Amino acid sequence: MSDPHQALQASLQRARHESSPQQILDLIPYSSFIGAEAKVEGDGVLYWLDRRPSNIGNPSLPAIHGGVIGGFLELSAAIEILYTLNVELIPKVVDFSLDYLRPGRYKTIYANCTVLRQGKKLVNVTATAWQDNPDTPIATARCHFLISK
Amino acid sequence: MDLKLAIFRPMLKLAMERNGHGAALGFELTKIGRGEVEMTFPYKEEVVGNPITGVVHGGVIVSLLDTACGTAAITTLTRASVTPTMDLRLDYMHPAEPHQPIYVSAKVYRSTSNVIFCRGSAWQDDPENPIAHCVATFMTVDTPSISLGNIIRRRLNRLVRGDRAYEREADK
Repeated sequence: MSDPHQALQASLQRARHESSPQQILDLIPYSSFIGAEAKVEGDGVLYWLDRRPSNIGNPSLPAIHGGVIGGFLELSAAIEILYTLNVELIPKVVDFSLDYLRPGRYKTIYANCTVLRQGKKLVNVTATAWQDNPDTPIATARCHFLISK
Repeated sequence: MDLKLAIFRPMLKLAMERNGHGAALGFELTKIGRGEVEMTFPYKEEVVGNPITGVVHGGVIVSLLDTACGTAAITTLTRASVTPTMDLRLDYMHPAEPHQPIYVSAKVYRSTSNVIFCRGSAWQDDPENPIAHCVATFMTVDTPSISLGNIIRRRLNRLVRGDRAYEREADK
């Protein structure tokens, strides 16, 4: 019987070795449910979410569901930890704070993340989402993740 | 008996359960009162966040609490307005049990002419032992244009064109 923890660690190491954060996203069913994708760009990782009808929140505008924007940023932050830090467990989210700055229109959302602090137990990550221009973000988030057992 | 709410209740239920993300996740609004909303989410394999434990992703809890708090905010409106979320803060107290439904309740604790303040909680077995709780604030933006006529016109358009109608509206 193969140990799921060992399989996860092997997948994480392969993704880091091949510079493919998308491989980590593919391990998490929620990411394909919302349609999140990731690639290495410049010094960091770019995350994006193409539009799809199942992510609509307010159909009369139409606008992306605020929960999808939150879920996408929380997911991106967790992938950032798994990809850039030497963490071998799926990080557990402890708290999550989200400011909505502009409406999420029905088109692709981009995001990038920054790890502000890594401790033994906790990691603090910020994530910013935008659509047309990184200078006009639609939402910013900050979250704490637990990375020890 | 709150007549206005009696008219809006089925519209809110339709908007949250039959559209887009709420429909995809299978949300059910079990109670809509003035400033108070309760919802249920049945477990779904597709939204697992941890492939080893089978626990649903936190994003589902974000969507649930945002929807519940947002709906509760709408029920306190006295004018034709929309209520975009300003901010949302969640604390995750413990992971959800896989393969079990999640219940959510939201309550408006202060509603002013510009801002609506709301609290929400998500639990499984025991409301006193929540998985997560949140505070959310909503802005009220007066939009007299959200008339019943416009809503019906868009619904008919979507019935005819299906999902492509969203793209046509977004690209305008």
